Amino acid sequence: MKALEGLDSAFEHRARLAIAVLLARHGEISFARFKQELDMTDGNLGAQLRRLEDEGYLGLRRDFVERKPVTWYALSKPGRKALDKHLAALRAVIAASTV
Amino acid sequence: MTDSERVQQDLDYVRNVVRHHDADLGVPAIYFLWAVIILVGFALPDLAARLAGRYWLLAGIGGGLLSWWLGARDAKRSGLNDVALGKRHGLHWLITGVAFLLSALPLIVGRGDPGAAVGNFLLIAGLSYALAGVHLNRPMLWSGLLMLAAYGALQLFAPPYTWTITGIVIALSLAWAGLSAQRARNAGSLQ
Repeated sequence: MKALEGLDSAFEHRARLAIAVLLARHGEISFARFKQELDMTDGNLGAQLRRLEDEGYLGLRRDFVERKPVTWYALSKPGRKALDKHLAALRAVIAASTV
Repeated sequence: MTDSERVQQDLDYVRNVVRHHDADLGVPAIYFLWAVIILVGFALPDLAARLAGRYWLLAGIGGGLLSWWLGARDAKRSGLNDVALGKRHGLHWLITGVAFLLSALPLIVGRGDPGAAVGNFLLIAGLSYALAGVHLNRPMLWSGLLMLAAYGALQLFAPPYTWTITGIVIALSLAWAGLSAQRARNAGSLQ
């Protein structure tokens, strides 16, 4: 299927897609909040975030909240572009399957 | 499983995650803060009218700044820093503040009727809270509608202690909104 070619492998895992969609919608989200929302283990979530970071799709910032270290994640410009492209490809996949 | 079925399942998962995120009812501490400010501030026109203007100038600005600080602290604690939403809140309440100042302008230049000005104040507050309920946090809608109903009662019947009674009702509705938000958060953190 031609539409599948537009899909970005970085977003093929549904947790990574959810991470990107949440960041596109809300701006900055902490590691702990992702863990709570996505119901994932530290190791699994860390691996998914690292994959997006390695692609250059995420930026991170370290901060302290009530003397505890917090890592904040945000979608980078290339990440937002890639997500838009991936979502357009997903729409094409669904449209092609319903014809 | 076909590609389109897998895509559909992934999108369902994402939709559920996003929907869970959107269920935020606001910051409980901000509701409680404004319940207290409004309870005192709405009693003043009935009980000590000369203090009302100064009180609202100080409590309006101070309460706005404290709300901003509480919102920022809540964002840090909850791990969700939504800058765009924060800007929307800031712009909404800044416009409300400007409208309050404009409604007080006739009094400041000495040409206004105090009775009409306090009525306008209630109308602006009601409109601002109701629209905040539509666009920002739903529980504010009920407080806003109560204020608008109180404005109507004030204009039609001019009953005694309308301001005090309205303040009590709004404070109770805000306290209820704060408790609902707190309960929703506790329920979420237990899941």
